[in-house]
Amino acid sequence: MKTASELSSAGSSRCSRVCGHVSFVPVLPITVRREEPRVCALSLTEVRPTSRSIMAACRPSWLAILFVQFITVGAFAVAWAVGQPEAKALVAKQLWQQDAYPHVVVPRERPLVIAPLYDRPDLISDADLAAVLQKVQPRFPRESLKPNHVEHALRTWGVGAQFQDPAVLSGKELTEFLTDHGKFINSWGKTIAPLLQDLPTGVAIRFDRTDGGSIHHDHWLASLTEAGVRLKTPVYSPGRRNATIHTVLDQALRDFRLDEKETEWTALAFGLWIAPQHQWTGGDGRQYSFDLLSQRLRRGQKELGVCSGTHRVYSLMALIRLDDEFKETLSDAERKNVWAYLESVRDRITESQFPDGHWPSNWPEGKSAVEKPIVDEFKAVVIATGHHLEWLSIAPKELHPPEETIRRAMQWIIKTTKDNSQQTILDNYTFFSHIGKAGAMWRRTSPEAFWEEWEKTHPFVTSQAPASEATEAAKPKSTEDH
Amino acid sequence: MSTLTPPPREAVVPESFFERRDADVSVLQDRIPPEYQLTRRAVMLIALLGLLFTICSYQPLWHSDLWGHLSYGRWIWAAKAVPQVEPLMPLAQGVRFVDTAWLSQLIGWGIVSKCGVAGAQFMYAGLITFAFTCVLGVVYRRTGSLIATLAAFVTFLWGAYQQLLVVRPQLAGLACFCLVIVVATASVGRRWHWWAIPVTFALWANLHGSFLVGLGLLGAMAIGRVFDVTWRTGRLGAALRDSEARRLVLLTQLAAIAVLLNPYGIGLYGEVFAVTGNPNLEDLFEWEPLSLRMGQGQAAATITIGLFLLYRMSPRRVTCGEVLAIIGLGLATLWTSRMINWWAPLAAYYVGVHLAAIRWKNFGRPIEERSRSGLNTVVAVGLSWIFFAFTPFGVTLLHGQPQDAKLLAKRYEKSVSPLTPLGTTAHLLAEPPVGQIFNTYEWGDYLTWAGPPGMQVFVNSHAHLVPQEVWRDYMSISAAGGNWEQKLDQYSVNTVVVDVAQRAALIKALKLKKDVWELSYEDGVGAVFRRLKPL
Repeated sequence: MKTASELSSAGSSRCSRVCGHVSFVPVLPITVRREEPRVCALSLTEVRPTSRSIMAACRPSWLAILFVQFITVGAFAVAWAVGQPEAKALVAKQLWQQDAYPHVVVPRERPLVIAPLYDRPDLISDADLAAVLQKVQPRFPRESLKPNHVEHALRTWGVGAQFQDPAVLSGKELTEFLTDHGKFINSWGKTIAPLLQDLPTGVAIRFDRTDGGSIHHDHWLASLTEAGVRLKTPVYSPGRRNATIHTVLDQALRDFRLDEKETEWTALAFGLWIAPQHQWTGGDGRQYSFDLLSQRLRRGQKELGVCSGTHRVYSLMALIRLDDEFKETLSDAERKNVWAYLESVRDRITESQFPDGHWPSNWPEGKSAVEKPIVDEFKAVVIATGHHLEWLSIAPKELHPPEETIRRAMQWIIKTTKDNSQQTILDNYTFFSHIGKAGAMWRRTSPEAFWEEWEKTHPFVTSQAPASEATEAAKPKSTEDH
Repeated sequence: MSTLTPPPREAVVPESFFERRDADVSVLQDRIPPEYQLTRRAVMLIALLGLLFTICSYQPLWHSDLWGHLSYGRWIWAAKAVPQVEPLMPLAQGVRFVDTAWLSQLIGWGIVSKCGVAGAQFMYAGLITFAFTCVLGVVYRRTGSLIATLAAFVTFLWGAYQQLLVVRPQLAGLACFCLVIVVATASVGRRWHWWAIPVTFALWANLHGSFLVGLGLLGAMAIGRVFDVTWRTGRLGAALRDSEARRLVLLTQLAAIAVLLNPYGIGLYGEVFAVTGNPNLEDLFEWEPLSLRMGQGQAAATITIGLFLLYRMSPRRVTCGEVLAIIGLGLATLWTSRMINWWAPLAAYYVGVHLAAIRWKNFGRPIEERSRSGLNTVVAVGLSWIFFAFTPFGVTLLHGQPQDAKLLAKRYEKSVSPLTPLGTTAHLLAEPPVGQIFNTYEWGDYLTWAGPPGMQVFVNSHAHLVPQEVWRDYMSISAAGGNWEQKLDQYSVNTVVVDVAQRAALIKALKLKKDVWELSYEDGVGAVFRRLKPL
């Protein structure tokens, strides 16, 4: 029997080779050659190395090392080569902080247009339409222009709109206000946060309810899209001179999240730009599709969406029209769901119309909305009636309520627009702009085209009342609920 | 030569031959091969591990993660493919899903579908026992000290106790990690290391996403060894020639390669980093930083103080790899308490080896031949069988499942945690909800597993797959925070399923909205509310 001290003196260098205690190793490396029993000074256990353990204890040769290096490089190279693009993007993002966003290819220079389906002079005559459009011309004061108003004016009138009345902002001026930070500063000064926001990955639009902000997410983009802006139209942000609408669209595709507050305009803008592509990957790596977007639009109580739930109806109708065109925008199952949803909207608005032709904000309640009427603000009924007429103008007849229902609604909007002063219209511009657009679309035209023709036969006269009103018009002060 | 000897005419048997005698022990031979003979201490350790196995086998199955993993396993089995996007949460449609635990889920589903919950309990106990066996085994083999091994046992159990309560693929990762500890802490290579490490990592990469911790451990040991050798010799070349440094570096490389053998290929590496950085996880208790207010924080603090004392007194040289691994995992544990699962076994190992070294330094210890014997082996095998036979799985295997449905239900009820929504699920099965439901995070898994087929759960325990916006809304609704009712409308939720223990505020708020919500079921565990006018 030996004591620990005896064992320690017996040869400390041996123990590390066999039992694993490295603390007594004075010189490295040591190649084990001897077969005699050795003792670990720490565990005090005798270890009899077998030929296997000795062989295992030998150093891996340079050849083995080279071999492992070779297969390491080879294995990772092969894994990278055969890896799915998403997998590689994920690795690049996580390990090297590389931008892994797969950009969506935009297949067109100009956005698609959802064409109106009906020319119904019996519903709205040229004179009535002209009267309505006269009221919804963008006679905004140049100072402190509200992006939300400009966006609505632009989607109504289009980028090419021109007016003989110099007080009215042309489509070009409206577009420049939204796309050029310099023009924005001219209107708001430098103290307001820019509307166009520079990001490392592109240009985003500030959307909030503070001064100079676009109210809704992607409303800026959808409005310019509906207005027919070109993809290469320059966008001058505070720090970039090389951005275009494409840059903003790309950023919108990148930062879109399905469960954000509002998706109505996102669905519309994406549909008009990237269809027939029906699926894409967002900046969060999620696979988005128009199926998902339409599911999201159908979710929740009908009236909870923007503008008493009418915008989601318009966007869903637009998706159906895109699917009619490209056949693969929506899956068959989702198309059926959307169709059923729109049929239910049709039934509700059939039941909820008031005798004078307007729809209330609680139109999804159907008959009970009429039987137990709520007290609606003026703007709420303007919103509901104008917006419903707008989506019906692009809807097939199967989704229409009875003819008489549409006729009454049309008469109501014409009368309401005519009866209200220019100031009231300007105060509620965002809501009345939909009325103007709806009226034109029921004549299978656009406000821009109609007005251009109209002014050929009804040229602007300087003494016209609206113009003088416009020069003195107060800044719009509506609550911008739209 | 014998052929030349004539046979005796008559065999003469001595009379004493027929006398009854006791066996002469001195001439009996132990027929069990020496390598299978055990010492008494080894038998005691086996008894300890057997006891641990039996106790774990009776541990009720946790009501959260496990059922979600089984549901994914069921999905994989039905689809005959691993998911590419999240398949079970409608609100997470299209979210890319790198299922780092697909193999665990599939195996779990296979075992539970064949053997019932007893199979899951067996799996759970087996993995924990294997992990402990690795750590205790390596401590005992290095030190031969029963006390040091018991200290390692206590350290491991105390440190990782809370993490061990939940049955989930992480346990498979823990088992792999403990095996890697055996290899990484060995300062001399064995042949089996060269195949065991790649095989372990190839499995681990498919069982759970924690393989990175194992790679880190091997890497830390390799770096530490290179540093140690360079420091002692003053030459970097010595480190390059050092067999242990070479072995550890090559093993790390082989492990990294083996990880690539998974259905997602190289993307698995990216996913593991992405998951740990997911902001949703910040709201989960187990991902919070370790604090002294937590039970496991107190355990970690005590173990750390103990380690300080041991290091102060230990004659054993502390290697650089050891420092890197212990401190690295310790910092990770401070970052997120869940990492204690990996720190505890490593700390346990070092507690064991340093305690043994201190003991022998101070008290000395004579060398003695340990009394190995076949009898001990027989006792160990017998004990193992007894421990196995007394587990629910053993009973099921030996006697089959009870035929009586009531008995079966009663056994099932005893096998799951008291917080499992059994009554709630039965109610939902009787009256299936229409459309989207709102459920608490902890119950999403069980409702998916045992609820009506196709039920649209709001979230489950795979929080990292839930879109951030949905997760924020979930947190707001579950706490009955601002606009909770509007958010339920927004998601078209027609049914709310909540637990009583943690969502009392939401239950109270729902009860106050009698014109919109109706209480359709309530027991001591949970409650179900339904919208009076479904959306």
